Amino acid sequence: MARLLAIITAATVLSWAGRAPADVAKVGLLADFTGAFATWGPQFQKGVEAYQALHGKTVKGLGDKPHEIQFIYRDTASQGPDKARQLAQELVLHDHVRFLCGLDLSPHAMALADISKEAKVPVVIMNAATSSITRMSPYFVRVSQTVPQDVAPLGPWAVAHGIKRVYTIVSDYAPGYDAEAYFTQTFKAAGGAIVGSARTPQQETNFSAYMERVLEAKPDALYMFQPAGSPSVAFVRAYVERGLKAAGIKLLGGGETQELFLPNFTDDIIGTVTSFHYTETNTRPANLELREQVKKMFGDKAVPDIATLAAWDGTRLIQEAVAALGTDADGLKYIDFIKGKKFDSPRGPVEIDAVERDIIQNVYIRQVEKRDGRLVNIDIDEVKMVKDPWKIDHPQKPD
Amino acid sequence: MLSFGLTVLLDGVSYGMILFLISVGLTVTMGLMRVVNLAHGAFAMIGGYVAGYLTQRGWDFYLAVLAAAAVTAVIGAAAERTIYRPLYRKGELAQVLLTVGFVFVATGAVSEVFGAFPYPVVLPAYLTRPIDIGFREYPAYRLFQIASGAVIALVLWLLLDNSLYGARLRAAVDNPRMARAVGINVSLLFTGTFIIGCGLAGLGGALGAGILSLEPAYALKYVVLFLVVVIVGGEGSFEGSFVAAMALGIIDTLGKYFVAQAAPYLLYTAVFALLLWRPKGLVPPRSLA
Repeated sequence: MARLLAIITAATVLSWAGRAPADVAKVGLLADFTGAFATWGPQFQKGVEAYQALHGKTVKGLGDKPHEIQFIYRDTASQGPDKARQLAQELVLHDHVRFLCGLDLSPHAMALADISKEAKVPVVIMNAATSSITRMSPYFVRVSQTVPQDVAPLGPWAVAHGIKRVYTIVSDYAPGYDAEAYFTQTFKAAGGAIVGSARTPQQETNFSAYMERVLEAKPDALYMFQPAGSPSVAFVRAYVERGLKAAGIKLLGGGETQELFLPNFTDDIIGTVTSFHYTETNTRPANLELREQVKKMFGDKAVPDIATLAAWDGTRLIQEAVAALGTDADGLKYIDFIKGKKFDSPRGPVEIDAVERDIIQNVYIRQVEKRDGRLVNIDIDEVKMVKDPWKIDHPQKPD
Repeated sequence: MLSFGLTVLLDGVSYGMILFLISVGLTVTMGLMRVVNLAHGAFAMIGGYVAGYLTQRGWDFYLAVLAAAAVTAVIGAAAERTIYRPLYRKGELAQVLLTVGFVFVATGAVSEVFGAFPYPVVLPAYLTRPIDIGFREYPAYRLFQIASGAVIALVLWLLLDNSLYGARLRAAVDNPRMARAVGINVSLLFTGTFIIGCGLAGLGGALGAGILSLEPAYALKYVVLFLVVVIVGGEGSFEGSFVAAMALGIIDTLGKYFVAQAAPYLLYTAVFALLLWRPKGLVPPRSLA
């Protein structure tokens, strides 16, 4: 009897397995869900889940054949590129994923260059902002931003608005150097002068001595590039405490003032001008759709940030590619499909550069203001369809 | 030049005061009671989050800081009875492992409850502005830190050097058996002292949140600084912790001002040099000297 039961059970399970939709495209999302960079993972996941909740997990392929897109999340646990490589290998060999995506930090993305080429798996980069990354593998495509792309429009804007002398303070790591280099270069080219500069340890929270130096130099503005979180909050506090704001020195920056982070600041941040590729208050239909969906699913306080945004756009591209090519096309076919795509992202119009596989997008100059009792960014200017300036400065060598 | 010198001195002293406030509790547990207490930063972090939570809900800042010290002391008392007591006679490795475990638990709990973003303590408006101190405008918050640090240092000094409690504590640390023989309840004394140490950590975490930002990584990130203060000062020496905290605060500030790029290395080079010069600390406690 027991034996009979076992056979029946096995047969049932097998027939179930046989009936399950065989046509599933698995997508591995690698990001830090725990550890020092733990804010990235959940924000990516929100973007994916919001998109799939609104547009469905299943796309119609050729001849109305349904393809399901299934995301698998893996935690790189803030443990660096080796962990990312190891998890990517498992996802490719064991889970047979058709795409890899996520990747908050540049070293994590760089660590996947070889795997993507060997396994012919397209990688949709949803943050990792070092310019050179997309040149490391023909299977890489980026839907986020590069540091120079966000920074470069700010220098000319500052000069055009009466800011002639600037002091720069950046965090002492690779993105900080990129920001310093591109702000300095474009600001000087537009006729501005850099009157001083400093690089601060990555996790610095005691900025008093640096601010003293800035006060002595009496610039028109202070340009900052600090990691989101405690360094940027402490930076703005020191800027106010030391009387720089009272002395009329303007504060310029970038991603520090994302709406997600603004509740951590006091009203002192009002008036800070930043250049960035996504302003959360923009009223484009695609953005209203994203914001509403995120709030509906994750509560009234949930705010999309650049991770949610890039995950939303990245999911869209992956689902469209699967709809067009099915679940087992060659990796480069998927990339070819994504290349040159133009669409309306919640951030505004975007285009995937057909040659560089990197994103071309508007960069917005925004100012922090208080609206309805909440701190938000308000667009005050924009530069249309900015291509990553690093790529223009470093033309690709012909093979 | 004079004005600049005074500014850097004030910056260094205010930073040093915060280091002292938090580290002095560690001087008690590690220096006097000989428990390698790597969880000390976690107690400071808990104090900071309590103050942040209360001030964000409209509590008076000073009341919230006192509540932070009290809550941390209560948690410290519970931890002493359950976690630390069995450790007193165990080797240092057991102490390190268990207290590091405590740090991970605290970090995870804080991140779960309050999120991974930095957590602000809301200051009264007059503390967030610069005020005129004669030769320049200077942040009121930093002056407040210097004043509160000085008051607490004075109270501690009176308590430990000039009270019966202080004499008993020193006796119990130097020779517990002899202390018991003359009728001192060593176990109770240690529990009480440990609780005071935790309360001070919580107080320091709450008062210093404007310089040492509150975040889940706090407990691990800053514990190195607190350990350095205790070791450089001389294990178990209050005067030493005070001198060391001031010295490190001022060296760090000067370093950032003059050689910004080398500042992180400068601090640890200074620690290295100080320890080569005085391996037992700047002001070794009398009983050890």
